[in-house]
Amino acid sequence: MNAILLGILALPMLAALALWALPITLGDRLAALYGAVVSGLVLVGSVLLWQRTEGWFAYSELQPVQQLGPNARPLDAVTDVPWIPPLNVRFHIGVDSISVPLIILTALLTFLCCIYSLKITPRIGRMRSLIALLLVIEAGVIGAFSAMDLVLFFVCFEIVLIPMWLIIDIWGDDHDPAGRKRAATTFVLMTVFGSALMLLGFLLVYRQAGTFDLVQLTNSPVLGGHGIPLVAALLVAVGLAVKVPLWPLHIWLPDAHAKAPTVGSVILAGILLKLGTYGLIRILVPVLPDATVTIAPYLGGFSTVAIIAGSLACLGQTDLKRLIAYSSVGHMGFVGLGIASLSDAGMKGALFANIAHGIITGLLFFVAGAIKDRHDTSDLRTIGRALYARLPRIGALLTFACLASLGLPGLAGFWGEMLVLLGAYDPSAALPQATFRVFMVVAGLGTVLTAAYFLRLIRNLCQGDPAENPASAFAVDLSRIELITWSPLVVLTVLLGVWPGLLLHQWGIL
Amino acid sequence: MTLTWTDWQAIAVPLVLAIGAVAVLLIDAFWRSATVQLRHTVVTLLTGAVILFGLVFVWAQRDDFKPAFCRPVVEGPAECSLVFEPLTAGLWGVLLIGGLGVVGLSAYRLLSADIPVGEYHFLLLSALVGATTLAGARDLATVVIGLEVVSLPSFALVALRRDRRGSEAALKAFLVSVLSTAVMLFGISYLYGVTGSLHLVTIANRLTGLDPDMKRVAFAAGLFVVVGFAFKIAAVPFHAWLPDTYVGAPVEVTAFLAVVSKSAGVAGLLVLVVTGIAPDGSDLRLVIAILAAVTMTVGNLAALRQREAVRLLAWSSIGQVGFLLAPLAVGDAQAVVGYLAAYVIVTLGAFGAVAVVQRHRPAGLLSDYRGMVRSEPGLAVALIFFLVVLAGLPPGLAGLFTKFAAFQAVIDGHLGWLAIVMAVNVMIGLAVYLRWVAELFLLPADDPFSVDIETPAVVMVSLFTAAAVVVSVLPSTLFALAT
Repeated sequence: MNAILLGILALPMLAALALWALPITLGDRLAALYGAVVSGLVLVGSVLLWQRTEGWFAYSELQPVQQLGPNARPLDAVTDVPWIPPLNVRFHIGVDSISVPLIILTALLTFLCCIYSLKITPRIGRMRSLIALLLVIEAGVIGAFSAMDLVLFFVCFEIVLIPMWLIIDIWGDDHDPAGRKRAATTFVLMTVFGSALMLLGFLLVYRQAGTFDLVQLTNSPVLGGHGIPLVAALLVAVGLAVKVPLWPLHIWLPDAHAKAPTVGSVILAGILLKLGTYGLIRILVPVLPDATVTIAPYLGGFSTVAIIAGSLACLGQTDLKRLIAYSSVGHMGFVGLGIASLSDAGMKGALFANIAHGIITGLLFFVAGAIKDRHDTSDLRTIGRALYARLPRIGALLTFACLASLGLPGLAGFWGEMLVLLGAYDPSAALPQATFRVFMVVAGLGTVLTAAYFLRLIRNLCQGDPAENPASAFAVDLSRIELITWSPLVVLTVLLGVWPGLLLHQWGIL
Repeated sequence: MTLTWTDWQAIAVPLVLAIGAVAVLLIDAFWRSATVQLRHTVVTLLTGAVILFGLVFVWAQRDDFKPAFCRPVVEGPAECSLVFEPLTAGLWGVLLIGGLGVVGLSAYRLLSADIPVGEYHFLLLSALVGATTLAGARDLATVVIGLEVVSLPSFALVALRRDRRGSEAALKAFLVSVLSTAVMLFGISYLYGVTGSLHLVTIANRLTGLDPDMKRVAFAAGLFVVVGFAFKIAAVPFHAWLPDTYVGAPVEVTAFLAVVSKSAGVAGLLVLVVTGIAPDGSDLRLVIAILAAVTMTVGNLAALRQREAVRLLAWSSIGQVGFLLAPLAVGDAQAVVGYLAAYVIVTLGAFGAVAVVQRHRPAGLLSDYRGMVRSEPGLAVALIFFLVVLAGLPPGLAGLFTKFAAFQAVIDGHLGWLAIVMAVNVMIGLAVYLRWVAELFLLPADDPFSVDIETPAVVMVSLFTAAAVVVSVLPSTLFALAT
């Protein structure tokens, strides 16, 4: 098992280096094909990591699982070697039932982006570098999802920054070079500042506990809800909240998404945002449990504000990609609320919503990118109405993705948000019950707002009189490559909608 | 006459460097029959060999303790003027690597420029003698002598280019150097007056027992010494001389100033802080911490506005000194030496790459680098790697982990506010270097930089890149230098 994990970490990284070593004359399609093969192999490897294990917040490598009781969560595919002895940093990786689905999601979205790039490329070309950067991001994210050492997590967290900055800066919106440069720089600087704060938090944890090892820290956490642990928890939470992004630290997100190329948006929304929520679940909650209880009401409060603020911002958007970006703020708000409730249901809801958001928003950004490519703009007023008549299949897919995203029962988006609301209704006993009930009610209103803006989008974009909005000459409906790329996401949306147990059983019995 | 004893191995390295310096000067002066080309090669090889000997010596003896010029004291430990110990080994290693790098850089530029080869290498080796002495010094007189022996060759080197800019740069460096020495001597005289000793060990012992009034005098004296060093390493607000001097000097000399001269200053300050005048919990450490915060912020903010490559490197080196001062303020020698080592390697690399470009495009604007990732991929990738290490982000893990160690030192020293300032500066610093990286990546350019790079330049830049990659993959080597 650990060979597989090491393989899917090393393969994309080495493949990216090899790709840069190949001559520039390498064709764009050949580069994409190369990327597809590599990321396909990574996808196969990540699926092989999947196993049916159940459990919750406790790891064990030394003791047999039974001794830790029903809350044990075994760690698989472990590699643990010293890396920088003077700093007490180890190269310690492993996976469990929380990380494997996220790793598979990462591998899947990267694979689909490479397949998509076989036919549909940004105008500027330079696919060799784009594919290589995608592979570097993939390796970094998988590394972060499997890191069992705080410093290793931090390093992997940072690996993705410069590649993503380049993707937005070079391949972004070619109508607005200054805007895309600003968007890319805002993204990278805010994230770096957040991660520096997170590092300070890690160092405080180290000062208290004397180790960076997540397994040890989870088994014997840093207790105490005030003083140094509280400061550490605040620093870690703020640092990760920039990445999530949690209101009011989300200001980098709309521009970054709006200016990024399609594959960049998909990766950014589908994978990179998950690093933040994963960090909250993996590090903040188990390592600093008491301090988390202290800050959980505030975390929940900001998440609830994020749900409402994101939805209201969506209602005011006139740009398709910005609208989807803001909807991510709302959805990640649900994830944050679920984590803040610290309850079993809330956590599972957060984890489920995490995956569901990755799949659905990935699909949404693919569709939005397709619409943008066909109209050369993502401005809703310029695109016009009556997409059903002009691009019936794409219009239908957009509607499907919107319905999934607004949480229609039977599709993937529903279960996560429902569990989160359930968790907020009945939060952990250490938390103020009434506060979280209020959050639940407000978040419930947020779902209504979410439905409102998505239905408004469908009404404004898809419906309408075809006679008033004539089709553009070159606008072809769903191409074969789009069908191939998007169908796995559609299938997964339906599958997780009708069979949520597929994931929920992974995380134990409710 | 008191009895003194000396382990001559402790001063073997400065001694050999000094002999080498004289030999280089003599060869250049008296071997007139040889061609310029041959003399240059011989002088370079000899200089390199002398420095390499130093490195090998340091590596072989890195765990030993060798005192020199010691005399017994009635009570307490013996007073020694120069000590070779693991900390010294680490600092010497960094300084010698820096010197070797400068020699390497000089190998591909000097012949065309109108610079006397023998003098240049003589001055370089002399400065290294001073730098190594300074890093090993354990009494204030030796500190001052070491510092002067670094400084005098430095502005002579700056003045080697005999044009108006060169003279102005040299004059600035000279005035600042004299001023800093004066300030420092003033402080040292007070320290001597208060404690009655020049030996750091004794000063440290006696400082703790002073009555409050004298403590205040000792603090002021220590402040003057620190300010003297602050001039030398160009910590804000004593930095104004640096950018003009860097731009006025030839690129190799600028690299020397940024690498050897600056490291020597940091080394001297580190020695003073960890062994003597600023014990744990003293106000002087707080002063250094404030100096660190101001230096990194001002340096990085000013670097954001630069449009010339060398000026950007000059200002960002001020920012880097701020980061060096942060672990220094808590006396974490390991973090300082590790940071210094990474900084030396990548700064040499960056100046090496800049030297190649500036030779063909003397203006040295950042926009000259546009599109290089396509037109000159090898050099561009190397330069990007150096800049990323300076910024401290993956793939530049050497920079990341040395910054990490600096953060850790500061957090362990309970200086939370400084850690926050550092976090902000990581962000600003990244913005500085990304501007340059963005230029390199931009396509297309009307006239991208593309030349046949000279073989020595290719070799040197490759070597620096290889070294940077090695310390990135195995960051523990950086911290093994001073344990």
